[in-house]
Amino acid sequence: MRELLRVVLDGGYEFDEAADGLAALEVARRRRPDLVILDVMLPGTGGIAVLEAMRADPRLAPVPVVVVTAWPQMEEEAAEAGASRFFMKPFEPDAMKDAVEELLAR
Amino acid sequence: MRGSWSLGRRMLAASAALALLVCAGLAILVVAITRLQDATSRERRSKDVTVATLSLEKVVLDLDAGVRGFVISGKPRLLAPWTDGLHQLPRRIAVLQRLVRDDRAETRRVHDLVELINSYESEFAEPMITLAGTTPAAVRNQPQLVSSQGDPRIGAIRRRFDALLTVDRRRASVNTASVRRETRRALVVGATVFGAAIVLILLFGLYLARAVAQPIREVAGGATRLAGGDLSARMEESGPGEVGTLTRAFNAMASSLEQSHDELQSQYERVRKSDQLKTELVSMVAHEFRTPLTSILGFTNVMRKRTLGPEQRAQYLGIVEDQARRLAGLIDDFLDVQRIEDGRLELKQELVDVGQLLREEARAFAVQTARHSLELDLPAEELPVYGDPSRLLQVLGNLISNAIKYSPDGGQVELVGARRSDVVYVGVRDHGIGISPELQDRIFTKFFRGDASAQGISGTGLGLALARDIVEAHGGRMGFSSTLNRGSTFWVELPTADRADHAQ
Repeated sequence: MRELLRVVLDGGYEFDEAADGLAALEVARRRRPDLVILDVMLPGTGGIAVLEAMRADPRLAPVPVVVVTAWPQMEEEAAEAGASRFFMKPFEPDAMKDAVEELLAR
Repeated sequence: MRGSWSLGRRMLAASAALALLVCAGLAILVVAITRLQDATSRERRSKDVTVATLSLEKVVLDLDAGVRGFVISGKPRLLAPWTDGLHQLPRRIAVLQRLVRDDRAETRRVHDLVELINSYESEFAEPMITLAGTTPAAVRNQPQLVSSQGDPRIGAIRRRFDALLTVDRRRASVNTASVRRETRRALVVGATVFGAAIVLILLFGLYLARAVAQPIREVAGGATRLAGGDLSARMEESGPGEVGTLTRAFNAMASSLEQSHDELQSQYERVRKSDQLKTELVSMVAHEFRTPLTSILGFTNVMRKRTLGPEQRAQYLGIVEDQARRLAGLIDDFLDVQRIEDGRLELKQELVDVGQLLREEARAFAVQTARHSLELDLPAEELPVYGDPSRLLQVLGNLISNAIKYSPDGGQVELVGARRSDVVYVGVRDHGIGISPELQDRIFTKFFRGDASAQGISGTGLGLALARDIVEAHGGRMGFSSTLNRGSTFWVELPTADRADHAQ
């Protein structure tokens, strides 16, 4: 997944990766990224909590977040938590690229 | 043993006793009424006798008046009372005699009276009438002739009448008193029987209420509590016959209800748990299948659309192949689980050197990870077991890949093979994140993954469950020890080949 995203978004972006929710939040607070792509695995696990923690943090609240998941029912939950875009696995690489570019252009 | 009498028998006995008592009372009442009737008829007879006596006396006085009138006046017209009296006399006598027939003393008195009347008639009245008829003047001039002969006779007769009437009057008054007494007695007996019957019926009703209605009310109360959901409602198992049976049956019913309710409850819990597990499984399957698919589709898309150098091309193809293999492995795992659950797992029976298998797996995994060092600790001799080499490789591969996955910071993974008495022991030890105590008893549960999902460690939650099933199918055991944040050791024990020989 992470390798794929690096390849798909091959347009001069800088990447940071984290293997779990806590690490992701730590990296986000340290680097204050322009955009976050969040792979949410299961309902009720870390992914959505990371998004909520970001939205509660005044410095991270405006950062656009793209949620990627294999779980269709997550869409509503993700939207409520403040996701900017929602992608179901498997997603179309070009659509992901367009979404990232559009969010960054704002 | 009254205590063991059934309710039906008790009620029957009580009814019978009640009926018997009422019958006895009625019998006493009937006797009293019969005596009252006797007394009444005796009283009526006394009165009849008095009336008959008075009638007879009147007839006799009429006779006398006729004789005297005719003798003194000489007029045949005045003889009419005599003729009438003579005509009536036999009937009056017969009536009186019939009335006193049953009383010997009275019969004798009446007999004496009739003798006197007869002698008055034949010795005085008839000669007088004859004399007055033939020589009226001789008789008319001597009125003393009538009184000297007639008066004593009539006086004697009247005295007899008086005596008779006195006796009758005395009897009548005795009979009246007896009638009054018997009436009072019959009334008292009747009232007593009536009152006793009422009291007995009330007592019987009270007994019925106590013996039947009370327990039924209690059972109904218990049933209401049961219906209200209080399944612990029980009754005291007492009471006669059917009531005891009823309470026992009620308690048995309540117990069985409670038991089946508990069974249902625990079944529901099991179903709910398995349902929850299924939900987890579905999300797991979605994630585990879609994630490699995303990479495969994504990279093929990139390769189709972009112009790539041969090196990049080879790298992307390698990723696609890995992800496709991961998918294939997942499908194998699911199928294995299904096979084992259906009891369709087929194992080859070959002589296998577990030491050799460990060496192979160590080599294979060493290439895949740069951060971990795999340390092998094996004896010089073989570790022979009977079994299916590919399945045993699957078990060892699962343990080693777990050791690597769950020590994300890298480090040593120790692989130990040894022969211990009649088992071959394999231990895989890591220095990774370990397993928290509260999760330890669930890690062999299918699809259970502890905190792994939250920590971003991929997997299906099937590996350990499958591994243990395979080890057990080989007649072996599997276990582990783990300390949170310090690492885990998973071990397998398989029977040695020579022990398996003995067993066969």
